[in-house]
Amino acid sequence: MVGEVQTGLLQNSGEIPDSLSTELLALVRGERVRVFRRPIAYAVSPDRLTGVDCHLASASGARVRGVGTVLSRASVTGGRLVQGSSQVRVTRGTSNRRLAWSHYMARPGVVEVVGKARAADLAGGFTLDAPPAESLDLGAVSARFVDVVQSSARLDRRAPFRMARTRFRWTAEPGEPDVRLQLRGDNVRTLRLTLPDPFAPGVAELCEDLALHDWLLTALIEIVRRARPGSVARPEAAARLAPAIDHILHLWMPAARVQDSLLHVWESLEHRPGFTRQWQSLVNRVRDHVTVALLTVAGGDGRSGD
Amino acid sequence: MLIFAISDKGGTGRSVTSGNIVYRRSLQGNDVCYVDFDFGSPTVGAIFSISEAERGTRRGGTHRYLQGEVAEPHRIDIWAESDREGLRVKPPGAGQLVLYPGDEGGGEFPTLTEELLRQCVRLFSRLDEEFDLVMVDLSAGRSFAAHLALAATARLPGVHSRWLVFHRWTRQHIIAAAGLVNGERGLLDVGAEHGHDPAELADRVRFVRTAVLEQDSAELAGLRPTQLAWLNDCDRELRELSARHKVGRTRMLGKVPLDPVLQWREQLISDEDVLASQIANAGTVAAFDDLAKKVVDDNAWEGL
Amino acid sequence: MTPVNATFGEVAAERRIASSPLSHVSIELGHLYMEDFEAGPDRLRQQFRRAEPWASTARRSWQERVPGGRARVSTCFLIDDYFSRFSTPAELIPVIVETAADSGLTIDYLARESACARAGGVEPAKLVEDRLVADPPVGTNGSRPPARETGWLCNGTRSPVAGVVQAMGVAQKWRPPAQNAKRGHSVFVDVELWNDDDGERTWSCPFLAAVWQLLRLGMLRDDGRPPVVPQPRGTTFPDDWADLPPIIRLVPSAAPFAAYTTLSVLSSRFMPVELAVRTILSQVAVDAEVLGQVVSRSEDEGVPLEDELVDRLSYVFT
Ligand SMILES: Nc1ncnc2c1ncn2[C@@H]1O[C@H](COP(=O)(O)OP(=O)(O)OP(=O)(O)O)[C@@H](O)[C@H]1O
Ligand SMILES: [Mg+2]
Repeated sequence: MVGEVQTGLLQNSGEIPDSLSTELLALVRGERVRVFRRPIAYAVSPDRLTGVDCHLASASGARVRGVGTVLSRASVTGGRLVQGSSQVRVTRGTSNRRLAWSHYMARPGVVEVVGKARAADLAGGFTLDAPPAESLDLGAVSARFVDVVQSSARLDRRAPFRMARTRFRWTAEPGEPDVRLQLRGDNVRTLRLTLPDPFAPGVAELCEDLALHDWLLTALIEIVRRARPGSVARPEAAARLAPAIDHILHLWMPAARVQDSLLHVWESLEHRPGFTRQWQSLVNRVRDHVTVALLTVAGGDGRSGD
Repeated sequence: MLIFAISDKGGTGRSVTSGNIVYRRSLQGNDVCYVDFDFGSPTVGAIFSISEAERGTRRGGTHRYLQGEVAEPHRIDIWAESDREGLRVKPPGAGQLVLYPGDEGGGEFPTLTEELLRQCVRLFSRLDEEFDLVMVDLSAGRSFAAHLALAATARLPGVHSRWLVFHRWTRQHIIAAAGLVNGERGLLDVGAEHGHDPAELADRVRFVRTAVLEQDSAELAGLRPTQLAWLNDCDRELRELSARHKVGRTRMLGKVPLDPVLQWREQLISDEDVLASQIANAGTVAAFDDLAKKVVDDNAWEGL
Repeated sequence: MTPVNATFGEVAAERRIASSPLSHVSIELGHLYMEDFEAGPDRLRQQFRRAEPWASTARRSWQERVPGGRARVSTCFLIDDYFSRFSTPAELIPVIVETAADSGLTIDYLARESACARAGGVEPAKLVEDRLVADPPVGTNGSRPPARETGWLCNGTRSPVAGVVQAMGVAQKWRPPAQNAKRGHSVFVDVELWNDDDGERTWSCPFLAAVWQLLRLGMLRDDGRPPVVPQPRGTTFPDDWADLPPIIRLVPSAAPFAAYTTLSVLSSRFMPVELAVRTILSQVAVDAEVLGQVVSRSEDEGVPLEDELVDRLSYVFT
């Protein structure tokens, strides 16, 4: 399995209600947008397919051709964050040539390798820093799903702050459980999972959840960096930190919809790099700073009133 | 916010000035990017001292992106990739400074197709999501790039966009700049065709005077009184002319003095150039700094 | 203390897919345009006389194939009221039923072609439009949106038009179109799905025919429910086509309208239309859950189905 999730801030001044999320995500007529309200509001579009026939990146540089369909969906979490997620299951083809399209349509979300390839070679290729330009580009597909949501006229486009999208590329191979997460340049993250059952339907959801929290962490780090607490005047820094408090702190909800059998992946990432630890320490810093700034202002007012 | 840099004539200082504006804006703490839409001559890499993109990039720039050949145009992080050592250290508190170059060998596009337009809308929308300020350098004159920008912004009503018209402080330049905005098939005309409200669009246009020789500048120190009087007359005439053409003070966002460094070389002017090596004038940096603030300051853009 | 296992569910988060009753085969006894009716009763009689032997052969072969011989076979007949209208249901339907009976045929279900475009509050054609997945030419890696000519669908790469050439760029030469899954040589098919002339959507005949096949295969759902359900017949038929239900059941004891497979007995002039139908159907993403339901039921019954939807369609061109 390989996939890529793009995560970004919804281009709207405030949180949007479930009803609007539902409207934005109605990408297929006759198909329901599924809405979860607990433990956090989450709405997800019906799945859509995109046809591909191209090279698959491989670590060895071997030329491997794949034909099939990419399965994608868009989602909105907490009425604030938007994700586009695409995945394919790469399987050995039944033929050495391309078959009629109806063959691939009968296998949604599957890309068949025309010829030979090794799973590990493909997983390595997919998580390369820069896969060759003409190879399967799940990121571009996911990005278009984010675009569809962001371009809705129902959004006011007055987001509380600017933030780059993150791209979370993942692979899941069969084998002894193992988790390898890497942060790369240009907001790219790669995750290589080895699992007893890499094809379980929950794997993509797990990756979407990880991508979401990675974005939150990235955004909070960035907001704190921009605010420069300690270098600029307290009230000024506090004002720059405020959007974090108003818009993202409450969205941290690790493993909200992750299957029990996959919780261990989250747990191992909590151990190292320690997502929640870092998040909590940043949150404390933001809160403390804003509290002190408020106290200072209150104290200052008190004195001037004397 | 999208800012479109345009000028009626070539060589007015559009690229150099707008490049320095984004540079200053990023020093002021904003995340900014500079997008090369001067399709006929994609050479903006030089201003940022990116030798790899001096004549455009080979790795899929704005041309190939618009034609749908690459998923995203190649981006260059100036703070990391500039050849100028002084630029390679990002000062504390500075924001991102990113360049999207054109393609090496890229040329003007002949017609505006739906495909190109959609790619352009997608690009602007994505950049606006990530950057506080997106500066788009358009070709000189009534160009394909300007047409594309007008059509694309009409489809992005929620995205703030502003237009900076660069011109030199001469008779011809003033008339040409006014014509580019208000004239036949000018910005307002073509904008209206694509669904912009001309009055609203007009409110989002400001003029920037480049390479201006000020009366009190050091360059004029050695002139005879008769020469100064003559210059004074010229200047007054130009002020009247510009007011008549609606390019006057009220519609001016700022002006940049003639600078010796820029006269010789297209580049970003760093504080170092003024303070340490003292090759550039402090007034030039002050003007860029001022423009960088005003360009995002709503007070400077209030309706007239 | 051992942890208690909690389960929690939300109704709005669920996806429910109703199954629809299925026959083994749905036999279409004919598809006539209004001009065929205008040509007089002989045209109709001729169609039924030609269809009858094929219909009974199909029935017999399914009886042999189904364990226990209990094949469920339903017949249907489609009337075009979308592109042109003729006569009234009250006048025409009894004639059709009687003429069929003369040839020894029973019409179980009668459908209006416009039902494929709109049936009550549902627009089946739009359900299909949103489920099209274009057959990708070699080199399609997802980086750009699928090349689409609005309202058209093909099975390959179109001949390039004199596209965007940058100033002083290289102009493109003509190249032939190519079928994506060609073997040696191409059979390139480009199908018009609709046009939006005069601001109004008009679906093409092949597109509606593809919707018709999907309805007969029980493959469409609107919010989990079949979009068109056959209605029982009244004692009389209305005077206006618009008042006739989209699909009516003429025989109360008929086997289900939708089926695992379809057989269409058509005049050979429909061959190009049906080639177009297959081109469209090869590019429709049917809901995986619906597909799965059908497959598991057919397997339970001991009648394995072909993987690909287009392989569940068969034709007799007379
Ligand atoms: N304030 C200034 N003082 C002196 N010279 C300047 C000033 N601003 C720009 N120049 C110079 O003017 C020339 C033209 O500038 P620039 O390339 O920015 O113009 P342009 O309008 O982008 O031209 P083109 O239409 O060719 O892209 C350059 O040599 C530049 O260094
Ligand atoms: Mg220039």
